[in-house]
Amino acid sequence: MQVTFWGVRGSVPAPGPEMNRYGGNTSCVEIRTAKGELFIVDAGTGIIGLGRKLMAAEFGRGAGQARIFLSHAHWDHIQGFPFFPPVFVPGNKMTVYGPGRSSSMLEGILEGQMNPHFSPLYTMRNLGAVIDVVAVDGAARDLSFEVAGVKISARLNPHGATVALAYRFEETVDGVTRSLVYASDAGYPPSGPSEDVRALYRGASMLIHDCTYSPEDRAERLGRGFSSVADAAAAAAEAKAKKLVMFHYDQDYGDDVVDALAERTRGLLDAGGGHDIELVAAREGLTLTV
Amino acid sequence: MKIRFWGVRGSYPVPGPETNRYGGNTSCVAVRVEDGGPLIIVDAGTGIRKLGKEMMQSSFGEGAGTAHLLVSHTHWDHIQGLPFFAPAYHKGNKLYVYARQRDDTHLRAVFASQTDSPYFPVPFENVQADVAFRELVEGARFEIGPVKVSCTRLNHPWIAIAYRLDYQGRSVCYVTDTAPFRDILIEQEFIRTPPKPGDPLKPEDAAKLAAMRDGVVRLCEGADLVIYDTQFTPEEYLQKPHWGHSCPEDAIEIARDAGAKGVVLFHHAPERTDDQIDALLHYHRKATPDLEIHAASEGMELDLSGSSEVKVTTKVDP
Repeated sequence: MQVTFWGVRGSVPAPGPEMNRYGGNTSCVEIRTAKGELFIVDAGTGIIGLGRKLMAAEFGRGAGQARIFLSHAHWDHIQGFPFFPPVFVPGNKMTVYGPGRSSSMLEGILEGQMNPHFSPLYTMRNLGAVIDVVAVDGAARDLSFEVAGVKISARLNPHGATVALAYRFEETVDGVTRSLVYASDAGYPPSGPSEDVRALYRGASMLIHDCTYSPEDRAERLGRGFSSVADAAAAAAEAKAKKLVMFHYDQDYGDDVVDALAERTRGLLDAGGGHDIELVAAREGLTLTV
Repeated sequence: MKIRFWGVRGSYPVPGPETNRYGGNTSCVAVRVEDGGPLIIVDAGTGIRKLGKEMMQSSFGEGAGTAHLLVSHTHWDHIQGLPFFAPAYHKGNKLYVYARQRDDTHLRAVFASQTDSPYFPVPFENVQADVAFRELVEGARFEIGPVKVSCTRLNHPWIAIAYRLDYQGRSVCYVTDTAPFRDILIEQEFIRTPPKPGDPLKPEDAAKLAAMRDGVVRLCEGADLVIYDTQFTPEEYLQKPHWGHSCPEDAIEIARDAGAKGVVLFHHAPERTDDQIDALLHYHRKATPDLEIHAASEGMELDLSGSSEVKVTTKVDP
């Protein structure tokens, strides 16, 4: 699998020269499977730039297919969808997976952002692409399914007053299984991730983890339901992940702040039994191979 | 009267090195009059986040501030910054929100639903400031302290309104979002297939558009500055006449007809780079030397405090 970061920011897009290196777009990650299938995780404003690139190939001709996995429906994870150029091209097919008790409820949530008070699109039915919505029921015990030869599992993390899905994507090529975990917007209790979530993270080839805050800032904003870099380092060390990717930075953290946080996270990994874990701070345009 | 731009973009925020100079935040403009006068904010796109931070350095940080927010319409790019507007979460502050009255939904409900579960973690009930909604009817005129405010309807889906602010003989108009008033009447229905620009209009639509245009020209009459939706180039407009946006050419035509002194290109397309905006500005300044033309950028302040000229300065972020 290849992973490309299109938006790495949390809460709200943050334009400005101080964000030039890491980028100010909200959350969006592109995954290309070994067979070339397109998965997209979260639809923050980063998805717009991805969409522009996609229009140069089959999506521009109405022959594209994408699977979009939403962690949850906070604005910074869905706000790019109405501006994703491929949704306007008839013939394109999209399947949106996300948390919800039922697919129609999830569809209603996506419809809500196109309500005519807020959007000139009025409803998703005015988009040209065929859009299927599939709820991933966070309450069910078995949250595993297979899409395009990739085994996908999902588990719920606490996120302030709500919950967000963490996803694990597993692909086996030539007998070798590699796994990518996406865990954004995770606000663990003092005891850390749940048993189910620990199992989801275990042995991940790559763990993309919420790194919204420094430990000090998180302590002041516990109710917001985000991780600090210390939470991310602890989760990666416990899971014995091969690689930790920092993600979902606070909208006020400029490039220099993120640089310093990355250095600090390296120290936290080394001190917490994760000295052999590779560390990468996600930035827009970065492509990594799992 | 000083006008400062905090967000100048249309549609959605666009971070990145190509928007560093003009800025990538969505629409937000602050208008201040002499010390002690009211703070007026026009639209609450993402630009309002940094404005809010600056306001917290003043009386708003002590819960003793009052601001008036004029909303052109409630599309995302004009309200999406409000949940990140720090003064709203400080008890004691007062915020008056003005927008066009809707037949079906009270304004408070429209704004509150922006932060409903599951879209946002902080519900509207958590707003600590005293927020009062003022629903405006067609052609409303009112006063905010010593500032006279008037408004008129624009040609945009679900309907937007333009504002004019008058203070001590100087005036600024804020005209966004709107399509030109010639090819298509945009009201409350989704337009699936737009007419071709130049196709004949239904007589009743033509009459409505003519009246709307008259309203805008009258609003801008003799204004010092007209801040105008210039999201499109003429080529882009031909593709999307039903999206409800204009070109610099349309802004200049309205300003001329109204006898306005200056035009500010505003609500830049998200894909427009800094260099492209430079080029557009250069082209229109050369083509129309009799009008004062500016292109809005984050941090730009236009000072109308003197007798007739406009002083332009650039402020850095707080």
